[in-house]
Amino acid sequence: MTLAVAKPTAADVPLPLWRKAVAAALDGGGRFAGAYATDDGDELRWRVLVAHGALVRSLACRSAARRVPSVVDLAPAAGWDEREAHDLHGLGFDGHEPLRPLVDHPADPSAWTVPMTGEGVHDVAVGPIHAGVIESGHFRFHLVGERILALDARLFHKHRGLERAAQGGDADHGLAHVGRACAACHVASSVAYAQAVELAQGRRPSDDLRVARTLLLELERLYNHLNDVSAVCAGVGFAPGAMAFAALKERAQRLNARLTGHRFLFGSVAVGGSTLALSGGAARTAGEAVRSIGDDAAKAWRSLMFARSVQARLDGVGVLTRDDAVRLGAVGPAARASGVREDVRTTSPRLAYGDLAAAVPEAPAGDVRARLQVRALELESTCAVLGELLASGEIAPGGVVTAARDAPNFGTGLVESPRGATLCAVELDGDRVARVHLRTGSYANWPAVAHAAAGNLLPDFPLINKSFELCYACADR
Amino acid sequence: MHVLLRQLNRVRRDARLPRGRPASLAVRHVDAGSCNGCEHELQAAASPFYDLQRFGIGIVASPRHADILLVTGPVTTRMREALLAAYAAMPEPRLVAALGDCAMGCNVLGDPAALAEPLEELLPVAVRIPGCPPTPDAIAEGLLGALDGGLPRVA
Ligand code: SF4
Repeated sequence: MTLAVAKPTAADVPLPLWRKAVAAALDGGGRFAGAYATDDGDELRWRVLVAHGALVRSLACRSAARRVPSVVDLAPAAGWDEREAHDLHGLGFDGHEPLRPLVDHPADPSAWTVPMTGEGVHDVAVGPIHAGVIESGHFRFHLVGERILALDARLFHKHRGLERAAQGGDADHGLAHVGRACAACHVASSVAYAQAVELAQGRRPSDDLRVARTLLLELERLYNHLNDVSAVCAGVGFAPGAMAFAALKERAQRLNARLTGHRFLFGSVAVGGSTLALSGGAARTAGEAVRSIGDDAAKAWRSLMFARSVQARLDGVGVLTRDDAVRLGAVGPAARASGVREDVRTTSPRLAYGDLAAAVPEAPAGDVRARLQVRALELESTCAVLGELLASGEIAPGGVVTAARDAPNFGTGLVESPRGATLCAVELDGDRVARVHLRTGSYANWPAVAHAAAGNLLPDFPLINKSFELCYACADR
Repeated sequence: MHVLLRQLNRVRRDARLPRGRPASLAVRHVDAGSCNGCEHELQAAASPFYDLQRFGIGIVASPRHADILLVTGPVTTRMREALLAAYAAMPEPRLVAALGDCAMGCNVLGDPAALAEPLEELLPVAVRIPGCPPTPDAIAEGLLGALDGGLPRVA
């Protein structure tokens, strides 16, 4: 088994060579997977992570002057990461112009919005509090009539400083913070964190643990995808579909509670293990429950296919082209709906996915329909994975085995959350967590939402937004 | 026989239905920095399995229409002003409810520099619904309690 071993000990790249080094790492299909700053008082270290399948490469540079060359032209996906590091750590980026605030919220809109002028151009400001039961975030639409010219999303209203708060404590203290970043991605973020810590400690999961974590991840995907289909139905005002899938989601969450004692699977992931233990009989019963949810979801999906008021709203709305998806670093169902055949699950040596293939719809048009279709396809494959794992009998919590003689003290975890690739990087200092960074699928995809909204009508935005169905909580942290 | 018994049971159950709850309750939710778990469960409480609406509890779009402000999450510095503005926009009499452990100030995670005062110090919290997140059952119970307790009269 090959492990995603980053090279933390590799020497820092001298600043003049920084851009060249990052470009070389991205060459040949490397995907920008995240970046973060570490402050050690006098100097700032800036680390960029590039993923090639399951392998995460790490490059770092240091600057006493707190300025490094930007790589945003080489990897546009790094845009948010650089802006965040500027706001939270005071790191400057040469060549990133204008470097607009992201986590900081200056009062003057011109400081953070794209200037838009012309005949009939006007702004519509929405949020941070929305009309329904929705997370907080602010959207500034620039419109002509009802057509969206551009959208500036100002998130981070929910920034709780979880990464900073996680530092200095032990690994369990860190897990509590990472796990509460977001309820809907609790398992994905927690597993990514646990993988990172284990790698930093020179350990790897046992086969039982790989199975247990895969089960938990797919249980999380099951209720999330059901929720997301329901949300799209709600986005077009189609109550029967919204209610049918909300009811299915409820069944999935009740199954979660039966299996782990928590409807969102909180507390089921541990560093070095899991708390999931099922007897053969319990596993079989759970398998039947999954099958019945899957069958009913397929039926509900078929009736959705014949609901013309829904079908008429899906095509050509909120298009994200394949090129844009790649350029902006989109991940998960949103990227696959645009034809990007990537799914971290297909290259996860630390999990038990077998020969799962990435789900791409027949016509990956990158619109609302395609994003909905990916969910339907993945509901099928998720039920199949769950069914297979539960059919194999007893599920044990599992543990870890020592894989390396020396603990590298740095590790990364890469997991496919319901919203896409989630990366967690951890730096250890003995038993203490010196730095933790969480970059979730939602964080990666928010810029794509803003991009896909341009050119559409304002009343379609809720639908476009729902078709991505990103979390604010796990982006804001 | 079986059918008769079932009908008898149904009649008994119907007889136990609560009659004449005092009022309806219009709820405005504000996410002040949650992990989104409390939102999911609040939505579930309004979904087919729980159907809070049948008790006269409805979620409304504007604080102007609301009797009760339902707050989730610890209050972040960046949500503080918006939360206070929503409360200020509500007509009196009005109630504030803390939904979930974070809003109640229990086991709050995060960097103190990113968090504002606890909700209890910012607004007069009258209803507390504990849990992480509270289950839809618990949310229904908490809100029904507020309904039965009545809204405070303006002096
Ligand atoms: S109480 Fe729990 S579920 Fe609710 S916002 Fe806080 S951490 Fe999330």
